[in-house]
Amino acid sequence: MAKFRVIEIKEGILAENDRQAEEMRQELLAAKRLLVNLMSSPGSGKTTTLVQTIKALKDEFEIGVMEADIDSSVDAETISATGAKVIQLHTGGMCHLDAAMTRQGLDALGAEGLDLIVLENVGNLVCPAEFDTGANKNVMILSVPEGDDKPLKYPLMFEIVDLVLVNKMDVAPYFNFDLEKLKERVAKVNPKAKVIPISALKAEGMDEWFEWLKAEVKAVKD
Amino acid sequence: MHELGIMIEVVRQVEAMAKREKVKRVEKIVLQIGEIATVIPHFVEECFPAAAYETSLEDTELEIEIIPANGRCRECEKVYHLLDKNGHCTYCGQKNFDFLSGREFMIKEILVEDEDEEVAGD
Repeated sequence: MAKFRVIEIKEGILAENDRQAEEMRQELLAAKRLLVNLMSSPGSGKTTTLVQTIKALKDEFEIGVMEADIDSSVDAETISATGAKVIQLHTGGMCHLDAAMTRQGLDALGAEGLDLIVLENVGNLVCPAEFDTGANKNVMILSVPEGDDKPLKYPLMFEIVDLVLVNKMDVAPYFNFDLEKLKERVAKVNPKAKVIPISALKAEGMDEWFEWLKAEVKAVKD
Repeated sequence: MHELGIMIEVVRQVEAMAKREKVKRVEKIVLQIGEIATVIPHFVEECFPAAAYETSLEDTELEIEIIPANGRCRECEKVYHLLDKNGHCTYCGQKNFDFLSGREFMIKEILVEDEDEEVAGD
């Protein structure tokens, strides 16, 4: 005789991930380490921005990078040329990283002695916004060719970030891109998010971003 | 299109629950998905077999309940369906509301078959 019963769960599917993420955030804070989750579309200049950032800050901080990609290790190779500690995480077809994968990455990287760890998330504006990785700060890069309407199209991503870097400002004259309009739209979905226009390739406007990052590293240390 | 990753998480959670409860088999999983949740029920259904492939849930049935997107109008205080008039109150026409439901994505319950006691007692 088969016996059936119903088990009520009533739990959000991401609840377990959120728990793991919060646990990791507390551990990072206790270890006085800043983990930045860097998100964007493919081709927005995450790796170029990161290379410039490491070059500028490597004398001041010990920096580690986790490169998440569905496949390949081209980004990890580019980053490792800067001398920063780097590992490649393959998500095996998945379009985002979750807290458990981030933890595995931290263990594989060896976070001991690092002040700043950047997680280069999979290039995608949808899924990474849904999954809390356990990072202390969420940063996204929006590049000029993508358009100033993206906060309207991907509100969740803009809702969860602490900072929006607007990259490729050097080509803004060739695109129909309105920085003020973008700022308004970001403020509408997330009044707390800061917006910094940069050009990683031309190394323009980067100082404000470096200062922001330095202040955040200091904030977790104090 | 992140439904596959999410369904892998669902399979993980249900398997963990089944193990804790020492069940023989999970007959059915019931999910609740809000109308404006960021997962699409159709894709959830499509991804489930792939997520359950070669797990103990391979033959488990999936049921999805849709939760309507409702809000309470701050002007006239009536509860209305947000999708009918693009967010505008269906009673007074204003678009100024407190969000009540529609973004859920939950495992509501699972139907399980228990180990037959007599057989288990042998």
